[in-house]
Amino acid sequence: MSGQLEKNDFRHTYRLIAVLVLFVVGAAFARWWAVPETFGQFGRYRGAAVASARTETVPRYVGEETCADCHEDQVELHDKDAHARVPCETCHGPGKEHAEAEGEAPIARPEGKGACLVCHQRLAARPGSFPQIEWREHYKFVGVADESVECTRCHDPHEPLYMDRDLRTARLHPMIHRCRDCHQGREDESLERPENHPPIFECSYCHGPIVEDFAGRTHASVRCTSCHIFFREDESTGRIIRDADPRFCLLCHRAADFRSDDAPPGIEWPAHREEMGTFPEDADKRCIDCHRENIHASEVSQ
Amino acid sequence: MSKELSRRELLKVLGAGSGLLLIHCGPVPPLPGTETDYDWEAHFWGYAIDTTKCIGCNACMRACRAENDVSEGVNRTWVERYRIDAHESVRVDIADKGDYVFEPVAGDVARAFFVPKICNHCEKSVCSQVCPVGASYMSKDGVVLVDHQRCIGCGYCVQACPYGTRYIDPRTHMADKCTLCYHRITRGLQPACVASCPTGARMFGDLKDPKSTLSTVLRQGRYRLLRPEMGTHPKCYYLGLDREVV
Repeated sequence: MSGQLEKNDFRHTYRLIAVLVLFVVGAAFARWWAVPETFGQFGRYRGAAVASARTETVPRYVGEETCADCHEDQVELHDKDAHARVPCETCHGPGKEHAEAEGEAPIARPEGKGACLVCHQRLAARPGSFPQIEWREHYKFVGVADESVECTRCHDPHEPLYMDRDLRTARLHPMIHRCRDCHQGREDESLERPENHPPIFECSYCHGPIVEDFAGRTHASVRCTSCHIFFREDESTGRIIRDADPRFCLLCHRAADFRSDDAPPGIEWPAHREEMGTFPEDADKRCIDCHRENIHASEVSQ
Repeated sequence: MSKELSRRELLKVLGAGSGLLLIHCGPVPPLPGTETDYDWEAHFWGYAIDTTKCIGCNACMRACRAENDVSEGVNRTWVERYRIDAHESVRVDIADKGDYVFEPVAGDVARAFFVPKICNHCEKSVCSQVCPVGASYMSKDGVVLVDHQRCIGCGYCVQACPYGTRYIDPRTHMADKCTLCYHRITRGLQPACVASCPTGARMFGDLKDPKSTLSTVLRQGRYRLLRPEMGTHPKCYYLGLDREVV
């Protein structure tokens, strides 16, 4: 009898335990139901979300290599000129559909002046070294009266610098080409600039990084055009230093009795080479192979 | 007697059952999309913007929109144009209409420049901290992402971001943001904005790789961060930033 009573004394404890257990089970069930699968796998988030972030979008910008698979010529041309670093799809838009359809699906071919002016419109906020124009001013400068003419009439967007065919064949510097339109055979004219003269382009408009780099070096006071005689009618246009032989540097740096103290440092040639211990097999060694530092970096963009 | 035993058995069964349920939330098999050779623990992605190179063509913005199908009226990345006059009064505008082209504006400027903006993918991202449902998180390779199955669109993260780079998508009514083109970078491609930048103003790279272009640039130490006082440890490094930009 007493045993029976003792047993009854614990009944409420069992009930309490049962309630607690039910609560725990209920909580576990609620957690199972509310917390998604893979939550907490890597952190306080759904692990599976990472996989969907990787896969739910497909790349649409395919890159120049894909373009070159079919348009090798265009890409090669493009890689040689001022737009070399402009990715194809910056102008043409994403190429995925076009590439997958092997050219059957159209790709954007931006038209009108706006397509060029999106980058080349003169804006106060654009870096000064970046080529930019007011197109009406530019048309006046190059002598185009018809405003309906598009930029592409002169500039091939893949090879924008050397514009029309004559120019491209001659490799004339585009700016000097335009000077010669008026100044050809008029050397006797006054050098004072007339009021209605079209704006004159500075080297830095197009070659900003090079000009900037040059300004910090020993030749900074020398004009660009002193070395870059940019109307030579062959492949070396504007690049006289590249194929320069020592005589070019000696134009200024030959030791001569009649020079003043502030003249450029003069040397005796070819004794200078022997003094420097240049060996006979280096006979082709050019001045710039040792003196590059005095001029400007060779691989500055543009 | 049998009654008490069955009760004990019941407890055992219930205990084991709840234990099983708890185990159920533990390890799971590998995820689809993670079986490729991309190891997310081997990378930690960062971003740099050279403001002296930005020409404000907005190619990045157009590329981002096309690549990620960004809704009308919101942006994942954009370019701000600063115009500061002689009295240091600052005007900032963005080209987020039509073709996203900056037009010339009249008015005196002492100096002017472009500043591209993008999610900073902060190491201590406040947007992830405030998310009540764990929909916002940073992946192990350092990209702050949104789980669109979890997001409830409460907008806490949008308010928390000190850089204003998050938005509530008008189509899905969920938070959204720059993913650093996670679908591209995990395939070895560059984010669309970097891949389309014509001047190399935008740089993307691996902070864990000391030889990456980004690490090389950052080693020179000539960068600034936006709002470093917020303690968010942003990973978007700005080169050549004007003192006016914070």
